[in-house]
Order: sequence, then C-alpha cells, then structure tokens
Amino acid sequence: MITLQLLVNGLALGAAYALVALGFVLVLNATAAVNFAQGDLVMAGGLLGVALAPHLPGYLPLPGLLLLPVVLVLMAGLGLLLAAAAYLPLRRRPPVAVFISTIAAGIILQNGASVLFGPEPRAAPPLLGGGTLDLGGLVVAEQSLAIIAVAALLIAGQQWLFGRTQLGRRLRATAQDPEMARACGVPVTAMILITFALGTAFAGAAGLLLANRYFVTPTAGGDLILKAYIAVTIGGWGSVPGAVAGALLIALFEVGVSSVLSYPVALGLLYATLLVILVARPQGLFGEAARRRA
Amino acid sequence: MRRIVHKVWALAPTLTLPRWAAEGMMLAVLVAYALLYASPYGLRVLTVAGVYALAAIGFQIVFGLGGALSLAHGAFFGLGAYATGILGSQWGWGFAATFPVSLLVPLLLALLVGLPVLRLESHYFALATLGIAQVVHLLAVNSPALTGGANGLPGVPGIMLFGWAVPRGLPLAAVVWGFVALGGLLAWRLARGRWGRALTLVRDDPLAAGTLGLDVGGLRLAAFTLSAVYAGAAGALAVHTQRVVSPEVLEFPVMVSVLTIAVVGGRGRVAGAILGAVLLLHLPEWFRFLERSYLIVYGVALLATIVLAPHGLTGLLDRLFPARPAPLPKPAAPPETANPTGPLLRVEGLTKGFGGVRAVDGVSLTLEAGTITGLIGPNGSGKTTLVNLISGLEMPDGGRVLMGGTDLAGQRPDRIARAGIARTFQAVSLPEGASVLAAVAAARLERDGSIAQAEAHALWALERLGAADLAAKPCAGLPAALRRRVELARALARQPAVLLLDEPAAGLTDGEKAELAGHLRAIAATGTAILVVEHDMGFLLPLAGHVLCLDQGRPLYAGPPEGVRSDPAVVAAYLGEGA
Repeated sequence: MITLQLLVNGLALGAAYALVALGFVLVLNATAAVNFAQGDLVMAGGLLGVALAPHLPGYLPLPGLLLLPVVLVLMAGLGLLLAAAAYLPLRRRPPVAVFISTIAAGIILQNGASVLFGPEPRAAPPLLGGGTLDLGGLVVAEQSLAIIAVAALLIAGQQWLFGRTQLGRRLRATAQDPEMARACGVPVTAMILITFALGTAFAGAAGLLLANRYFVTPTAGGDLILKAYIAVTIGGWGSVPGAVAGALLIALFEVGVSSVLSYPVALGLLYATLLVILVARPQGLFGEAARRRA
Repeated sequence: MRRIVHKVWALAPTLTLPRWAAEGMMLAVLVAYALLYASPYGLRVLTVAGVYALAAIGFQIVFGLGGALSLAHGAFFGLGAYATGILGSQWGWGFAATFPVSLLVPLLLALLVGLPVLRLESHYFALATLGIAQVVHLLAVNSPALTGGANGLPGVPGIMLFGWAVPRGLPLAAVVWGFVALGGLLAWRLARGRWGRALTLVRDDPLAAGTLGLDVGGLRLAAFTLSAVYAGAAGALAVHTQRVVSPEVLEFPVMVSVLTIAVVGGRGRVAGAILGAVLLLHLPEWFRFLERSYLIVYGVALLATIVLAPHGLTGLLDRLFPARPAPLPKPAAPPETANPTGPLLRVEGLTKGFGGVRAVDGVSLTLEAGTITGLIGPNGSGKTTLVNLISGLEMPDGGRVLMGGTDLAGQRPDRIARAGIARTFQAVSLPEGASVLAAVAAARLERDGSIAQAEAHALWALERLGAADLAAKPCAGLPAALRRRVELARALARQPAVLLLDEPAAGLTDGEKAELAGHLRAIAATGTAILVVEHDMGFLLPLAGHVLCLDQGRPLYAGPPEGVRSDPAVVAAYLGEGA
C-alpha cells in the first residue's frame, strides 16, 4: 500500500515535471537552442498563481480551476516576450549565445520575483480542492489527481496539435529543418514564436500545479531546469515521448529515494546518476533524436 | 540606432590613441581612486572586485579561449573558499599552507571530472558541470560536521605574508590586486602564445584542430584545470576578505557574476575580466534599492551585452582604439623533411558501417610518393568517409592504415596528423575571427617554437600557392575559391608526406581549376603523395596518375585514368543500371 501511495505521489510530481520537460524539448527542437530560463518560467507560473489567487471570484464552485487558463495565456505572452528579447536577435549566432541570454532572462525573472514577492515560500490555491480522497484505503490528495489530469490533458492536446493539424505540421516542419521549412513557405519565425509561447505556457501550468503542494520560492527554478534537462537527456536529446518518460522516471526516483533516505540524498543521487549517464551513454537511455546541426 | 552607432564608429579613427596608453590610463585612474578617494567601504568593494577579477580571468581561459561553458567554475571557487575556511578556522593553518591547498583541491576535482566530462558536446558539458556544482553544494550544506552546514564556519584568519598579517583596507586590497596582476599577467602571456592560439582553434573548430596535430582533449583539460586553479585562488582570497565561509560561496549567484563579468568585459580577454569585475561589482552600489536582488541588474547587463555588443566592453574599446596591425613576418621555409620515396600510405580492407549501412566496405589503396591519386564515385559512395577514416575523424570498424610500418587505424586525429597526414575539408572551415596568416599558422603551432616562427612558415606556405597577398586579410568574407586556397596552404604548412583533399575544386572557375592543378603537380613533385576526391572528371583525369572509383562503399574500379570512362561498371554506377 505504501508503494502504491508513493507511486501516486511520484506520478503527480512526474506529470508536472513532464510539462516542464515537454516545453523545454519543444523549444529545443524548434530552435536547436537550450532555454535555460525554463525552470524560472515554472517559478513565474507558480507565483503568477499566487498573485492572482486573491482576485478569484469566491462565489464560483471551483475558483482554482479558473486560474489555469489565465496562467496559460499570460505565460504564453511571457514566452513571446522571452523569444523576442533573448532568442530572435541571436538566432544567427552560435548556440552558446542563446544559452547565455536565457541564463540572463532567468536571472531577471528570479530576482524580479524576489523583489515583488520576497524570498519566502508561497503556496498557490489548489485547482479543485485541498482535500483528500479515500480510494479503497489509498489516500490521494485531490491536487495530485488534478495535476495528473491537467498534465495528461495538456500533453494530449500537444500531441493532437502536432499530429493532426496543419499548424502542427508546420511546427514539426520547423523543428525538423528550418531552412527547408522556410523554402516550402512555412513562416518559420512565427512557428518559433508559437513554440516559445507553448513551451512557456506549459512551464507556467507546471508551476501553478506544483505551487500548491510543494510551494514556490523565487530560487526554485535552478533545480527545475536541471530536472527538465536531466529528463530530456535520459529520454534522448530531442525526443518528445522520451522527455515525458524521463520526467516520470526522475519523479519516481526522487519520491522513492526521498521516502527511504532524504530529499537532499535523492537530489544528490539524481545528479550523480546524470553524470554517470552522460559519461557512459551520452545519447540517452533511448537514443538521441535531435539531429546534429553541423 | 544601428546607423547612429556606425556614425560613431566612423568618427573613431580621429581619436585614435595607442591601446597601451588607453589601458594604462584606466589602470592609473583605478590606482588613484584606491589611494586617494576610496572610503573603507569603497576599498572593500574594490577588494571583492579583485577577487572576482581573478575568478573571471580563470573563466576567460576555459570559456573565452577554450569555448567550454563551464558552470562548475562557481563550484571551484567555493571549493577553494571551503579549503581555506576549514583549514584556517578549524585546523588553525596559516595562509602559506591553506592557499596552496585551495589551489590544489579544485585542480584535483577538475582533473577527476574533466577527463570524462570534456568529451561531451557543448550543452551536455554545461549541464554536466552544473550537475557537479549542485552536488558540491549539496555536500557542503549537508555535512555540518565538516563545513558547518548551512551556517558555515566563522573565524577564518586573515592573510599572512612573510610574517606580516595583512590588515583590512588598503593593504588587503593591494595584496588581492597583486594576485590579480600576477594571475592576469600569466593568463595574458598564455593567451597570446602558442597555447592560447591552439586553444582558440579548439574552440572555433575542434575537428580542424585535431587534423592540424593539436591534442584537443589535452588542451581542453589543461584549460579546465587551470581555470579551476584560478577559481580556487579567488575563493581563498574571498574568505580571507569575508572572514567566514558559508554555502553562499557555492551558490549560483557566484557563477552568474563570473559569467556576467567575462561576457560584459569581453570574452577571452584578461583586460575584459578586470574591467568587467570593477564595473559590475560597483554596479549594485548604484542600485541600492534592489538590496539582495541586485543580480537583476547583472541579468539585464548580460542580456544587453550578448545581444548588442557580443565582444563586450573590450570589443568596443578595440573599435575605438584599434590595435595597429602587426607587420607581416618575413617568409621562411620550414626545415626540410626527408624527401620520401616509394609507397607512403597503405590502406588495407578499411571498413565502416553506420547503423545498417556499410559506408566503406573493404577498401584498399596505396599512395606512392610524388603521385596524385583520384578518388571518385557517386554521391554517398563513401569517399568522404574514407578520408575521415584515414585522418582519424571516424573510427574504422576494421582494416589497417599503414604508414612507415605503423598501423594508424583508429588513432586520434592529432596522432595521425603528426605521423605526416594532412587533409582539407569538403566544406571549408576557417576560424572566422582570425586573419589568413593566423589561420595558416595554426598548422605550425604544434611544431614551431614561437608564434613568430609559425607565422613565418605560414607565409612561406601561402607564397607557394601564390596567396601571400591574402596574409593580412580576415578569413571572414573571403570568396569561396580563396577560402579553398587558404585551407590548402594550411594543410601544406604541415609539410605532409600524405595530403588528402576533399573536393578541392568544387565551386572554382575553369581558370582557378587550372591554377589549382598546377599547384597540386608542384606539391607532388616535392615527393608528397596526394589523394584527391573529386567529381569533375575534366579536372581530375588529366591530373591523376591512378584512379579509384567507389560505389556503395566498395571499390568498383582501380587503375589508370584513361580506363575510367570506358569501364562499364563505373558508367553504370554514375548513370544508373543499364545505361
């Protein structure tokens, strides 16, 4: 029963990590650039939820649920801003330039948040309710179920968008080969902007979902970007299903080891495992999907 | 906006001033400020700026020159800090003992993790080094018995130099800046010398660097390790200034500050590290209202610099006070190598598969001294892969590459290059920031004793190809034909026994092709064995004494050039079955 309990917790955490990693890998594929601000964008989404919470109409049955679309839209806007400031001016430069510009964007977000909110941990309101459900002896927090449901919905939505729509085909064409896509009449810059908006909205959703049970501080982004990075690395650099699988694996590892030992040990072991994977199998556990851009 | 900037640049030559004078003036202003005006608080900021300047100078070596975005630099800083902090406050060791340990501990960690981690490509390297930094931070916070945990350790003694306890204020600032001067001078000399040149080539084009005889892995490891020593020294000086050590020294803000200083000051420049440190450490003083969130200013400065002025402040200064172009050296022929005769390179049964595709499947060939061999075949027949296998850029699955009795198959590219094999690339790659002379001189770095000597020999190689007039031009913006010529000169400067050319005539006009053919005949006449991959039969067949045709990785024809056009198998491979 304890194992099952941990499994549910791990799945909920993993679902949120999966959104972070998914947003990261979508931008990576579209631009061949690493968005180092992804972790800080998660934090921004969480704090956005905290800031919006007092303005929720209390007379509605599920006020927390209203937050989700608002955070998604606002964060998508932030993603456009990020792309305009830190990616588009540097797209013809070596990838390290974007790496540094997104580090800079992350610093601005992090310290801007600490000016606005202070360094204390804060909690966003739950999506559905703060209670727990008893499923035949298994006690599950409603928020955990909400996280899993929302993440599943968003990921399914992304799969549908990319797999079944004309816009999705253009987004995939951009990710596969921007030069070729442009030659075929795909508006590549617009596609890149949409990808940034999508990736940032996913980060924001993850932040909102995590900020209820795990709290949020302005410095929370550092660990989150590393975990997204690790998820994408073990899932195979550039692989979308790999990123989701990698995120779930990390979360299960984290929850499992934390329950036996402690969180710092889990974190330390996670990073140590990452180093071993990088050295022994740099193509990831399932092979590298992103083609090298020579 | 851009137009205004250009107008300002256009005015710049009217205020030219020798660069050393500009740098000397800045230094004088700094010293005058420290001696005459600085308050105790101002001196403290200046001291901390010195600490960060030293750390940033180290970062310039690994990131600026070596091009490796090491996010472990903050961790090395913190390790140096903790080594001094623990030994000084808990064990009662003095500066003379703690300081060397603070250099040694980061050095050992860099050696330990550097070997595996430096093989990784750029983004993985950044991630791996960030992972290392996080592990070190976690260890420091969670081992309170050793490190004092989250609270850290108070009571770190001050610096003791030859029995003199350096007091706070001006003396401490002077000592710290003394270390900066020492470290800066060393880094500056290294950066300007052969080692620095080699490292920048490793940054700009690691593949080419390997084929020019440079040990890419060794250079990177040396840069990473040396940068760790600088970071450790800076960390030690930081705790002597603070008199406490806490996990703050291992947190991301340290790393961010060093990165910002290096980028804003100007990547790869010692002067940039110093300028950036002085500027950025004083910047928060003007943004006091932000309190502990002053890093927001760093974020803005970093973003603005990388977007608007990628070469940083020193880059801007260079445009205001352009360095006078150095006079060209006198060309000098490098020492003669033994004139070889007979078969120089024997390839036997070389095989390479990618996934299910046999790209090269049992190819054998012999290159004789003084001959030109043509390698032809349809696209995807394995020509470039064969050249990559011989030059060590790809690892063969089987077969031998024999040169003078030793099997070079599977060896590192730089070892193969040192054995006397040089090559050019199908897609010419020259370091865009370098002059033609510097690009060609890179070929001699491994062999010559000084840059001046390497450049004299490089000019000799350019002269042989009738391209000496290009020497002072920047590589960026050269037309395709001249880029090929420069790359050939670079390969020639290696005085190779065996020269492998991958489509040297692609994109050339007929006149340029004829000229190239003349140069290749002249090179072969000195005894060099040449292998030419080419599609243009009109160029190749009159030139080559022997032709090998590949199809799907397998040899299809080997023999005199006259037989190529009439061979039914070759014709079928080029024009399709049954043609």
